[in-house]
Amino acid sequence: MNNIYFIIIAILCIIYIGSVVRKRKFSVKESFFWMVAAFLMLLLSIFPYSIDFIAKFFGVEYPPTLFLVFCIIFLVFVNFRNSKRIAEQQEKITELAQNVAILKEKENEEK
Amino acid sequence: MYTLIGDDMTKKDKLLFVIPAYNEEENIGKVLKEIKHDIPNADILVINDCSRDRTVDIVKKNKVKCISNIFNMGYAMAVQTGIKYAAIHDYDYVIQFDADGQHIAKEANKLYEHAKKNNCDIVIGSRYLKDMGYPCPKFRRIGTKIFEKIIKCSCKKTIADPLSGFQCLNKKVIKRYAKMGNYPEFPDANLVIEMLLSGYKIEEIPVKMRLREAGESMHGGIIKPIKYMINMFYTIFFVLITFSKKKVKAHE
Repeated sequence: MNNIYFIIIAILCIIYIGSVVRKRKFSVKESFFWMVAAFLMLLLSIFPYSIDFIAKFFGVEYPPTLFLVFCIIFLVFVNFRNSKRIAEQQEKITELAQNVAILKEKENEEK
Repeated sequence: MYTLIGDDMTKKDKLLFVIPAYNEEENIGKVLKEIKHDIPNADILVINDCSRDRTVDIVKKNKVKCISNIFNMGYAMAVQTGIKYAAIHDYDYVIQFDADGQHIAKEANKLYEHAKKNNCDIVIGSRYLKDMGYPCPKFRRIGTKIFEKIIKCSCKKTIADPLSGFQCLNKKVIKRYAKMGNYPEFPDANLVIEMLLSGYKIEEIPVKMRLREAGESMHGGIIKPIKYMINMFYTIFFVLITFSKKKVKAHE
């Protein structure tokens, strides 16, 4: 019954993500991946031996490494997505700032 | 004829058509002419969502007010831009209208009159309420049915076409939408449920619609609809836990 702690942790994660979204401190869209990750964590903690089957399927000898690989892939994916978002936002902010500057100049001219 | 004068005949309601447009050069001219001809008293506002074609030129040629977004923000944010404009300029009613020529301007008058007569907050123009001869793709029809069931279970109200973009909003709703910091990316069934649970009066009347004539729909392809459905269920789930009846009462 060691995995009961992990089940509790996973459920707490789900509740935490849900409550943050409900308080509108996190957007529904962005929370989706974290929610999926939390549910996978819950599933893995309920059926810890499922990772063995998956490892066999991929031909991995030591199952815990597979778990770590999945974690790393998920984190890299989220990180890349965030970088992409930042780049997009940077572009938009520049565009906005330039437009505001032009508008300000226009206003001065009208005065 | 079509009058937009209130019951007391003294105070005229200010009515605004909000038309978000993205690459609609083939349709927008006809749409604007139709509205001007059928409902001459209403103001029209086109929100150009950074189109790459001649949409702006055509709108300007028709002497209609046009706001251009600085970058492409998507349908929902364009609509919200229009609603914010309406809130600032103190309009009494906003009619959300599509630029692709699907919606018929004369039907907008029905929406407005229904909202006025029954004191509704939102009136939705529905394709499915009666058989109005609107041919609809099967996949979309199934999706609409599912959302109809969800709304019926959670709010005890039948909204047959929650995905309709043809809506009339009153001042109360305009103010609320204008202030919403997290206006959803797809303001369909989730927004209907949120407004119903918050105690707004939403009604639906049957309207005629045309099929799209030219250009590209925003719900095309295979991956997009699937993404849309997942997004929608997830969003509705959060709307339900945030706006469940007890919470709303406690809030009041």
